[in-house]
This record gives sequence, C-alpha cells and structure tokens, in this order.
Amino acid sequence: MSESALSASNANANEKMASLLKEAENLKTKLEEERQKLNDVNLSNIAERLEQIAYVNIKPRKVLKGHQAKVLCTDWSPDKRHIISSSQDGRLIIWDAFTTNKEHAVTMPTTWIMACAYAPSGNFVACGGLDNKVTVYPITSDEEMAAKKRTVGTHTSYMSCCIYPNSDQQILTGSGDSTCALWDVESGQLLQSFHGHSGDVMAIDLAPNETGNTFVSGSCDRMAFIWDMRSGHVVQSFEGHQSDVNSVKFHPCGDAIATGSDDSSCRLYDMRADREVAVFSKESIIFGVNSVDFSVSGRLLFAGYNDYTVNLWDTLKSERVCLLYGHENKVSCVQVSPDGTALSTGSWDYTIRVWA
Amino acid sequence: MAANLQQQRTINEQLRREVGIPRIQVSEASMLLMQYVMEHESDDCLLSGFTSQKVNPFREKSSCNIL
Repeated sequence: MSESALSASNANANEKMASLLKEAENLKTKLEEERQKLNDVNLSNIAERLEQIAYVNIKPRKVLKGHQAKVLCTDWSPDKRHIISSSQDGRLIIWDAFTTNKEHAVTMPTTWIMACAYAPSGNFVACGGLDNKVTVYPITSDEEMAAKKRTVGTHTSYMSCCIYPNSDQQILTGSGDSTCALWDVESGQLLQSFHGHSGDVMAIDLAPNETGNTFVSGSCDRMAFIWDMRSGHVVQSFEGHQSDVNSVKFHPCGDAIATGSDDSSCRLYDMRADREVAVFSKESIIFGVNSVDFSVSGRLLFAGYNDYTVNLWDTLKSERVCLLYGHENKVSCVQVSPDGTALSTGSWDYTIRVWA
Repeated sequence: MAANLQQQRTINEQLRREVGIPRIQVSEASMLLMQYVMEHESDDCLLSGFTSQKVNPFREKSSCNIL
C-alpha cells in the first residue's frame, strides 16, 4: 500500500472509531434515561409495612479443622451433608459436616485452589486456581481420586470460579483472563467463551429454576453481567460498585442478583426493572465483601467481610439484622446449604464453620 | 486498529440490545420480590428457625445420656 493510501485508510479507521465511540456514549445515556424513567420508588419504602426481623436464631454448630492455610472456596454437596473445601495449601478436602470428619483429602500440584464445585450427581468435583486449569476428580478412594483426575479446560490466567450448569457433562468457569468459558467435560472441548469484561472475573452464578441458560458474572471492572449461555452475549449489565465485584448470587426467585464488593457494600439488582434496587452498607463498615449468599426465601443476605465478620442483611428493608462472630481472619466464602437449613463459612483462619 | 474497531462494534451491539429490553417499574419489581419472600418465608429455616430443634441436623447432641 502506498503511503498516501495507508494514511487515508488510517484516517478512515479513526473516523469509524470516533463515530462508534460517539454512538456508544449516546446509547449509554439512552440506557440510563430508560432505567431512570421507571425508578418510581425505593424497595425499602415499599417494604416499610413489613415487620422488622426481630431475632434470628443462628448459632455456630461445627468447626471443620484440617487445612494448613487459607480456605478459599467451599461447596455444599447435593446431599446437604458433605462440604468440599479448597485452600491455599493446595489441598481439597471433603468433609462430613454432621460429624466434622474428613472423608477425603487430595493434594493438587498447585497452591491457591481458588474454586471448587460439586457436580449435580455428587459423584465428581471440579476445582482449580493458580494453575489456570479446571480439573475434575471422581469421588472415590483418595488414591483413585488422584489417579483418575482429568483436566477439562485451561485459561490464560488463574481460574477464580467454577460451576456445573446443567449436568455432570459441562463446567462453566471464570478467570483472571477476564473471560468465562463453558467446557465439555468428556472431550475437554471449549463449547462457548464469554468476552465482555475488562477486568478479572471473580465470581459466577447460575440462574435458578430455569432451563439453565442464564448466568451472572462479577468482575474487577466493577460490573456484573447477565449472560445468555447459548449466544455468548451479555443480556444485561449492572454498574454501581466503586471497586472489584468479588461475589455474585442469584436471588432464589431468579429475577434479581446480589453482589458483594471491595467497596464494602452489597447491592441488589432487579433484572425486570433492569437496575439497582438496594444498597447494603453502613458508615461503620469499611472492609471489603468477599462472598454473598441468600437464604432460601431471599429475605436474608449473608455476606462475608475482610473484618472477619459475617453480616446478615434484610434484603427488603435494607437493614442489617445481625453479625456472626467466630472467624479469626477474613471470611472468604459463605454458602447456604441446598435445603436452606445451614450456612457454611470459610476463612483465611484455615477453618470452615457451619451455622444453623 | 481493526481489532479495536471490532471490539467497539461488539460493545455497541450489546448496548443497542440492552437499550431495547423490556422493563417494569421499580415499584412493581419490588412488590414481586416481596411477594416471593412472603410465599417462601415459612420454609426458610435460617430466617424463621426450625419448628423444633430436633429437626435441625446440625444441633448439638444432648449431653445427658441415660445410663
């Protein structure tokens, strides 16, 4: 290409870019206007007539001790009794939460196992972290688990979160490479990749009671995205947080999501209204939120903080109900058991606690 | 440059889709959220407690044993 033709082509591209950016700005303004139009009242105003939650009878019941470093992730088994945990120590432990016994322990050839998840059948676990991989283990004897492990997928940066969307056959992962990916377990094939975030993906969650085609992701770009798993497109995007979004969770109704962020707030976004409907924060809370989960009715939001506490929020009235004390370091993960009878919390104090 | 253009086109497509989605009033969404919670509160053991501590699988076993 001649020099003049090259500069003409550059000028042309610059012009196209400028017009695209202008269009993007206009679209963002329009989007904000559309959302604002329907913002008639606050959720907490509507919930004023509800009675306050006077008392919550949640007590510490079990302490699971055995990890030799920070607990980074836990997941309840579908049997509502077992818990899998992953740690900075490179170990994966399967616990009987009723008895606190360790049933299995596997050492991985990596430290910082940042994510672990039970398969829907309860017969497999997926995990990974700083190794950038998602690995599946069958739950059998310890020797067999190590021998029969299988690497399903690899990201170009750490894997921060994983989840089985529909069956034991597929795994959805989120990564520090700012993408999410859907993998076929059997073939290790990448079925769909999800591009859109401009920062590390920290958390994902699947929409409940649906066909399993919608998921949410939270990222260090301060955004939460709702994705269509089939098309790979972002369907809705939610902003508002001032810092990294560390945790995202679907409301049990499936039409709202909660987020937890380094900006020390949790937020509730309604997908039908397409906007933020509540912020859970207090001036006295200055530490980041690592993990959130709903009680089965969606009334309570449990949030694990860097100040070693778990805060319980009334999601309708936007008030704090109470605090759970016990951990001696950052609370890294919180999860309500599948039947909603117990809460598990994992911490940098090397322990997992069960509250009920 | 071409890659940037393509990336920006994708972003614009997403924004166009988002502008076009149907929405409801916040008041209506709030009522629906509240309704869902009301309908499920009685099954929410962490909120409403157990009907009896005996059915709590994580309760402490009684320390008194019949000898």
